[in-house]
Amino acid sequence: MNVIGLGIAALGVGIGLGLIGYGAMQGMARQPEAIGKLQVAMLIALAFVELVFLLTVFVGAPGLK
Amino acid sequence: MNDLSKLMFHLIASGSEEAGAAGHGGEHAAHHATSYWATMALTGLTLLVIGFLLVKAKSGFTNRTFRGVISQSSEQLYLFIENMCVGTIGSHGRKYVPMILSFWLIIFFSNVIALFVGASPTSVLSFNLGMALVSIGYVQYEGIKSNGVFGHFSHFAGPKLGGPLVIISAMIFVIEIISEVMKNVSLSLRLFGNINGGHQAVDAMNKISFLPLGELLIPIKLLTCLVQAMIFCLLTCVYLSLVTHHDEDHGHEGHGELAAAH
Amino acid sequence: MSQTSSSVPTPVKVVVGLALFVGGAFLHSSWHPEFYKTLEGQGVPLDFGITLSAIGVLLFTFPIIDMFFVKPLQAALHERNSALETTFSEVEELRNEMTTMKSNYEKQLAATEADAREKINSQIKEAQALRQSVMSEATEKADALVKQAQEEINMEKNRVLADLRSHVTDLALAAAEKVVAENMDTDRNRKLIADFVQQAEVAK
Repeated sequence: MNVIGLGIAALGVGIGLGLIGYGAMQGMARQPEAIGKLQVAMLIALAFVELVFLLTVFVGAPGLK
Repeated sequence: MNDLSKLMFHLIASGSEEAGAAGHGGEHAAHHATSYWATMALTGLTLLVIGFLLVKAKSGFTNRTFRGVISQSSEQLYLFIENMCVGTIGSHGRKYVPMILSFWLIIFFSNVIALFVGASPTSVLSFNLGMALVSIGYVQYEGIKSNGVFGHFSHFAGPKLGGPLVIISAMIFVIEIISEVMKNVSLSLRLFGNINGGHQAVDAMNKISFLPLGELLIPIKLLTCLVQAMIFCLLTCVYLSLVTHHDEDHGHEGHGELAAAH
Repeated sequence: MSQTSSSVPTPVKVVVGLALFVGGAFLHSSWHPEFYKTLEGQGVPLDFGITLSAIGVLLFTFPIIDMFFVKPLQAALHERNSALETTFSEVEELRNEMTTMKSNYEKQLAATEADAREKINSQIKEAQALRQSVMSEATEKADALVKQAQEEINMEKNRVLADLRSHVTDLALAAAEKVVAENMDTDRNRKLIADFVQQAEVAK
């Protein structure tokens, strides 16, 4: 059961990361002069989404072993 | 890599009681929980590497044009950090450059050492928690210094509400305090999870077959080293900018973003 | 550029850092609460001793890196920037000097040109005046010569006329002598001849 939970968490976080990347890429393509600012904001957003998965792993994954 | 890390670990920890405890606890515990003295030794190793590189870099500062790859890279690193501080915090962000630069150096070189040795300060959650506490503690210190004790803590209560809405203010205050504590956890857990989780992923992939497939993850781990160092510094900058923004006019909106982000 | 990261003096930081380091070691060896094991079971191994020591290490690492590396780097960068700035300002000065020199030179060139033109004009005028005077002089001389020549011609004509007259008279006398010698040599005849000569002169 835990494995499925982990998979669902990875799925959700993957979708979230993809959306962030999508938005950032579109913004960069539209405004190449704002790439620096967009990259910073994108990295912060990526870090927050990633944290969700890490929390899931540390709370749920040890039960797998 | 794993064998080397175990060897290093036993060499480092052999003098302390933890080696015995880890031995009783089995390989599992020994692998996951790097002991106190091992962590301190790795910290020393990291600081030695940083010190060695900085001495090398410093020897190139004598000329008008910086000589040597290390000196030039250190200049670029300094400019990158300065750019980040000034861009995120504002014009008064230049005085935080030494601290952010130190954070960057410690995290990055510790991450790189983790690639070679298998364990490093940043793959130990307690060490990361220490760094996060220093970062957030310094942010609070700066906030109190620039806004005053009352001003700083009244920021946590959100916008001024009158009458019975004071209860909401109190709730916002509690939530903000919790989010402030969670900043520590998120900063430290992010770093720990990225570095240690990378190691575990490499271990898991190595166990699949006789081929060391996990080593294919090394490029991604190298990227993670850089990105995590940058994220930690960037978030510290953002937190600093949120508490020292009072002289800019769009400050309160920024605070609203802080409340929304956590 | 030389702002410090905080106002706490470095020795205090170092002392507090060392104290925290030792305190972390002590905490690690003396305090083993139950939730450590729970957390380690969760995959989150925690040891507040390491945390405390890490804070200590960071506290005396930051000022060392600041003093040892960031300050010299900032100083070197500042020195380089100021050197560049002085070089740039020198270049700017030189360029300004060059532009002023160039404008001066151009002014001088224009003045010289105007001077030369003026001189040429005056020379031309002088030459024209000279030519005028020379020409008038020449015409005067020529006029005088023409007048003299006409006078000489007139005088010559008069002289020739007188000569001719006397010749004609002589010839007429000779002819008349012949005639008269044939007739008679009287005063009345001579008078008639003189009258005739007179008439011929009038008819001339």
